[in-house]
Amino acid sequence: MQSDYMSAWDISKGIAEKKFSAVEIVESHIKRIKERDGEIGAFLTLCEDEALAQAREVDEKISGGRPVGRLAGVPAAIKDNMCTDGIRTTCASKMLEDFIPPYNATVVERLLDEDAVIIGKTNMDEFAMGSSTENSAFRITKNPRDITRVPGGSSGGSAAAVAADMVPVTLGSDTGGSIRQPAAFCGVVGLKPTYGLVSRYGLIAFGSSLDQIGPFSKTVLDSALMLEAIQGKDERDSTSYRGEYQKSYTDSLGKDIKGMRIAVPKEFFMDGLDDEIAASVQESIKCFEGLGAKVDEISLPAAGDGLSAYYIISSAEASSNLARYDGIRYGYRAKDYTNIDELMEMSRSEAFGTEVKRRIMLGTYALSSGYYDEYYNRAQKFRKVLKGQFEDVFRSYDLILGPTSPVLPFKIGERNSDPLQMYLADVYTIIVNLVGVPAISIPCGRSTEGLPVGLQLIGPHYGELRILQAAHAFEQEIKLEL
Amino acid sequence: MNFETVIGLEIHAELYTKSKIFCGCSTKFASKPNENTCPVCIGLPGTLPVLNEEVVRLAVKAGTALNCRINNVNKLDRKNYFYPDLPKAYQISQYDLPMCSGGHVEFECEERHVRVRINRIHIEEDAGKLIHLEEEPFSLIDYNRTGIPLIEIVSEPDIRSPLEAVTYLRILKSILEYGEISDCRMEQGSLRCDANISVRPVGQKEYGTKVELKNINSFRELQKALEKEEKRQIELYRFGEGHKIVQETRRWDSGKGRTVPMRSKGEAHDYRYFPEPDLMPVIIKESTVDEIRGSLPEMPYEKAARFVEEYRLGEGEAEILVGDKKLSEFFESTIREGASPKAAANWVLGELLRIMNEADLSSADITMKPAYLHRLISLVESGTISNTAAKEVFKEMFESGGTPEDIVEKKGLSQISSKKDLEILVKKVLEDNPKSVEDYRNGKTQAAGYLVGQVMKASQGKANPQMVRDLLMREL
Amino acid sequence: MKISREDVAYIAKLAKLRFSDEELDRLTREFETILTHFHSIDRMDLENVDLDKVPVDQQSVVRSDEKTVFEDKKKLFNNAKSMRETYIQVPKIIE
Ligand SMILES: [Mg+2]
Ligand SMILES: [Zn+2]
Repeated sequence: MQSDYMSAWDISKGIAEKKFSAVEIVESHIKRIKERDGEIGAFLTLCEDEALAQAREVDEKISGGRPVGRLAGVPAAIKDNMCTDGIRTTCASKMLEDFIPPYNATVVERLLDEDAVIIGKTNMDEFAMGSSTENSAFRITKNPRDITRVPGGSSGGSAAAVAADMVPVTLGSDTGGSIRQPAAFCGVVGLKPTYGLVSRYGLIAFGSSLDQIGPFSKTVLDSALMLEAIQGKDERDSTSYRGEYQKSYTDSLGKDIKGMRIAVPKEFFMDGLDDEIAASVQESIKCFEGLGAKVDEISLPAAGDGLSAYYIISSAEASSNLARYDGIRYGYRAKDYTNIDELMEMSRSEAFGTEVKRRIMLGTYALSSGYYDEYYNRAQKFRKVLKGQFEDVFRSYDLILGPTSPVLPFKIGERNSDPLQMYLADVYTIIVNLVGVPAISIPCGRSTEGLPVGLQLIGPHYGELRILQAAHAFEQEIKLEL
Repeated sequence: MNFETVIGLEIHAELYTKSKIFCGCSTKFASKPNENTCPVCIGLPGTLPVLNEEVVRLAVKAGTALNCRINNVNKLDRKNYFYPDLPKAYQISQYDLPMCSGGHVEFECEERHVRVRINRIHIEEDAGKLIHLEEEPFSLIDYNRTGIPLIEIVSEPDIRSPLEAVTYLRILKSILEYGEISDCRMEQGSLRCDANISVRPVGQKEYGTKVELKNINSFRELQKALEKEEKRQIELYRFGEGHKIVQETRRWDSGKGRTVPMRSKGEAHDYRYFPEPDLMPVIIKESTVDEIRGSLPEMPYEKAARFVEEYRLGEGEAEILVGDKKLSEFFESTIREGASPKAAANWVLGELLRIMNEADLSSADITMKPAYLHRLISLVESGTISNTAAKEVFKEMFESGGTPEDIVEKKGLSQISSKKDLEILVKKVLEDNPKSVEDYRNGKTQAAGYLVGQVMKASQGKANPQMVRDLLMREL
Repeated sequence: MKISREDVAYIAKLAKLRFSDEELDRLTREFETILTHFHSIDRMDLENVDLDKVPVDQQSVVRSDEKTVFEDKKKLFNNAKSMRETYIQVPKIIE
């Protein structure tokens, strides 16, 4: 698409070696965003002044001979559901249109600690609910590979910004596939880490037991670099991992994958899978075998049933997480009301979009008395069974492989009238969130129309290194040009 | 037909911690509105709770002090409802796995041995405070109280009269105070009480329809509110209008002295409890429970028994003393300073309580040092001052905090015990009253009393009466 | 899976959301589809799954009882629509 792309890895090296300055890098990226984003619509907020000020600080550190972080001068964009101190954070909702957080999310602090430059906030489905970024209250993001199509969602803005070379790296959040599915649609790398590996503090909650932050990038190396920066125990997040962390992923990416055992669940190749995607994934399996991996077809019987359990759990949690938006302390407040109850009811009804309301309703229903055991509780039991099945597979295999999405990027407007059809786009990704394991989506081919196809590699808990090694070996082998 | 009253209490006590339950904000009372707040406790988007370990310790302490079973695996749940004082629109509480269950409290009340079973004790967060402006169409919200840790202690319906309810609450309060679990200031709302009350014909097995009473801020109000509601319900049954008793929440209006139906918080009632996904299960090891149980300070009922045993106090006296932790500590310190238990008890239960009651002060307001009370007692015993003078000194000590010696000196209250000084006085009185001397010598013994009185008068009350009597006898 | 519009209207009350009659009808239909789909897990045996079982080695995540102060109160409340002194001011709440 263009030649002016530089990876985060190359940018930070070049800046550290004084080949160019952080200000030069940030200026050129801002220029690119201004040129391209009119068409793509990936950004909701551009922080030009703040970014340049930050870049100058990085340059001062370097000229002063002071040490810099591993993302020195790298322009990064953040999905607009992560809090940025003093910078509008909207969740792409009318509800938070004017919301300015007084604090930074932990991931934002970590990026700043590594001297990354926060260049803007990216578009998304409202409150991360959706698979196409069409549910944003503010704008539709287009797929840079084909602007008549959606970029996927809900982190569509973050995926598109990377695909269009507006920034080398971005952060997204993944509750049921919201990093991996847009990565597949936009032909970029997207990593959802193990639940707990990256702090959720400051991530505006959708489904608390499922939400996880992760990076988008063009290369596996950049995603590994980003993961090193953002992972780690956080005292402010009780669910953050308390064990040992892999210190470096980038150091051991070159390792070959001979003898790696890969499982391919046959349930991933049933009804509804696009033929071209199936063919592309089969090709990839051959490639992995060529690299020395042992690939077996296995069965993961519960995999096909995860979708509605996922919608019950995520909607139930969302119904509670989104109850705080009542027009009292912050956020949208309705103009006409006669009492406080009406103020709350009208504010919520006017400011939430259709999909958000639909999920709040579904979640409220699933938790209401008389239905809790039938829905929420049973969905949780299903989740436990599913976890058991994954554990069984990982006793014998290093990774699980399959398509990221059953469908190719669809046309804007094509699917948003039928929620269940839209939900089906997440069928392969949601089970990963239910289990809490890490997974990556990497580009593995193209359809006849030239649309990108994503391959999903799923690892066991805290198995990020294995995933990244396999993905990196595959990426180097196929050298896909999109 | 005779009726029996059935009462159960739900008590919320704010726990004695420095910081809130899920964030580091201060729990200090009476701070500037919204001073003790942060992104977490005002429920800003993206924030997460982290549990204060002291809250768990204090809840376990309460559980062990109230003979409960401590559950080793605990989870927290969300209780969902909309209200402007609840920033997240859910309260983090515990639903089906409370921290403590199955305890009891026993006491005697009006000849009945009462055993109140405790169903459960769970931890939860408090909500904010609303202030309604009288003259304006506004309410104001102060979130200082949101996230203050609470325990909720739920009793079984084992209480049979308003007086028993008050006694139970008093005992519970003193246990929480002794355990340093809560400061239990009802007037500041750190101890709150809701009551469930129903009545039924004596002998009937099923409970009658229960009514929940809220907004009770003192022992006195608890008793009054229960008496009023008991009367209301019995009357309705007596007039065959029992159907008018509906299960509802009624607010105690202390000004009007009656209970009134409350407008329910939101029309629909369904709290949609589910496990709090932002918090991990709380595992309480058996060894931790044992350690906390072992470190439990002496409880009021234990202390009362010890006072009777060790200091030979009457049971009634001991109960009054231990009912007020600070008072009982003051009493024991005085003894430790060297005072005799009997004298210390007399002063504390007599003058001290009298002054406190008169001035409407609590034991927390005592500034007088126990050592000074001991010295005051010694001054009386050595005959340096009279009992009457000692009471004056005591009052001054209570108010000013001065030493007894200084006050005696300042007020010139010490007795004249010097034999030489007294002899001069006695001689002078005998010279001035020859008639009485003669009467006495003629067998009118009551004349001696008159002469003692005259010596006392001449000394302006400072003479030691016993010495005066002895000297007079000798001279006569 | 049969759901009535009244059920959905009651849920809307709980969720503090207002819907038109058409919206309620649409939601009712959608709920039926989604919840019917959910019943595909009925064939799985979930009776013996115990959700309260927690691994014994699991550590509780707690913080020590230490005070911290969020200094910038002005920033903390800058998203509030109206303040009076340091209170948040809202339309009168009738209890
Ligand atoms: Mg409660
Ligand atoms: Zn706080």
